[in-house]
Amino acid sequence: MKLACLAATVLCLFFLGWILLMVVVEGGKGLSLALFTEPTPGPGSDGGGLANAMLGSLVLTTFGIGVATPIGVLAGTYLAEIGNGSRLASTVRFLNDVLLSAPSILIGVFVYALMVEPMGSYSGWAGGVALAIIATPVIVRATEDMLRLVPPSLREAGIALGASQARVITSIVWRAARAGILTGILLATARISGETAPLLFTALNNNSWFDPTLVGGVANLPVTIYQFALSPFENWQTLAWAGALVITLFILALSILGRFLLDRKTR
Amino acid sequence: MNLQPLSSENASSPAETAAIRLVVRNLDFFYGDSRALKAINLDIGDREVTALVGPSGCGKSTLLRTLNRMYSLYPGQRATGSVLLDGRNILGPDIDLNELRARVGMVFQKPTPFPMSIFDNVAFGLRLDGRLSAADVAARTEEAMRKAALWDEVKDRLKTPGASLSGGQQQRLCIARAIALRPEVILFDEPTSALDPIATARIEELVGELRRDYTIVIVTHNMQQAARISQKTVFMYLGEVVEAGPTSRIFMNPTENRTQDYVTGRFG
Repeated sequence: MKLACLAATVLCLFFLGWILLMVVVEGGKGLSLALFTEPTPGPGSDGGGLANAMLGSLVLTTFGIGVATPIGVLAGTYLAEIGNGSRLASTVRFLNDVLLSAPSILIGVFVYALMVEPMGSYSGWAGGVALAIIATPVIVRATEDMLRLVPPSLREAGIALGASQARVITSIVWRAARAGILTGILLATARISGETAPLLFTALNNNSWFDPTLVGGVANLPVTIYQFALSPFENWQTLAWAGALVITLFILALSILGRFLLDRKTR
Repeated sequence: MNLQPLSSENASSPAETAAIRLVVRNLDFFYGDSRALKAINLDIGDREVTALVGPSGCGKSTLLRTLNRMYSLYPGQRATGSVLLDGRNILGPDIDLNELRARVGMVFQKPTPFPMSIFDNVAFGLRLDGRLSAADVAARTEEAMRKAALWDEVKDRLKTPGASLSGGQQQRLCIARAIALRPEVILFDEPTSALDPIATARIEELVGELRRDYTIVIVTHNMQQAARISQKTVFMYLGEVVEAGPTSRIFMNPTENRTQDYVTGRFG
């Protein structure tokens, strides 16, 4: 038994290490200053970078998290503090779990029908909404879990001083759980910054800088990587590897920051 | 020692000295369908310490949590009968619960510092209605910490987190937090059960001082503690008040055999 567990762990880590090694080795070849300053090159041409895709990803991810955070934190607070035990809360919790495991391409198609089709164009707005729909259930879940770790006696102590429930939640419970909630938001950010499928149907992609109105395709890292990696052009393939490395490092940094915050809190 | 014979009826009647602050009449308490308190009648004297003792599950904490309506937080818990505070039934539907809880403070078993600074912890209740100026808040916060015998230990680090204090200091912080609101009654729910003997002694000493200004009701598992700090003792068993009266009499010369057995440690 012990041996089987060990073998499985080693196998798992082996493939993970292999993937990471490939990304580092291949992606390292494409690393340059131009990667961060120049937009994506045309098909078959040399040079260029991923600056437009990085900026686009930053905008889409910020948009998605900005929409998902208030909704997610408030809904999670409802589940843990207010509706706790009610039928509505159990229903919402169940639906949230379903949404949490919904295939992300489904969400892309949904937003396509909801926004892209009626508006007649791919847009950053649609992309941001799709990412928000993916991030929200993650934040709801993290918020609820973290609020449940706050001891009930803390709430009673607040109530015992004559504070209203709203005051107890905003001044005491949220504060006690803030590191955990922030970690949840960071993990949700990490999750959506690598999502490709929902963007294929919504923000699509673009070979130049995006339009300030966010209408039309918005360049972004995941879809750029997807397109460039499948292309026959060597320059594009190199850029795809470099983009994969950049995304991986970004997600790694977010995860470490999340761990650090949670760690400091529990100590 | 009180040698005059006392029936169980006048055992729960007013003490010979103190005025009455809380009058409990015919109080029943229910967790869902289960009846946890049965027809409780009790007078709690003004500015004295009343100890609620009895074996686990006897309803003493439930009784305590009725006095500030803490149970109202939880659906399915309800009380019938009456608890009069200054002549007004606090179980009534027209009671402003937040106001009631400002008048009847509570200190819990485990210290419950809020995730904020020492100063903000004590100022928390004072800032709730936003009517006090910052200077008033600061003055009353200091006054409360002085009364709770905490000021000298924390005055140089008011901005550090409340959780950075030791367990005994945290408990005194919670007492200061309750005192800051200038309540009439302070409820203590086994306030020293999580503390070491030295911190316990300080809290007991503090309770003795607070008695001059506040009516105090304390739930304790520790018979010696009840004997040391209370003037009245209420012995409860299976949701009923078996016997209530001056602490010296309850411990030295109880009327009921069950009380005698419990306070001498023969059961419970």
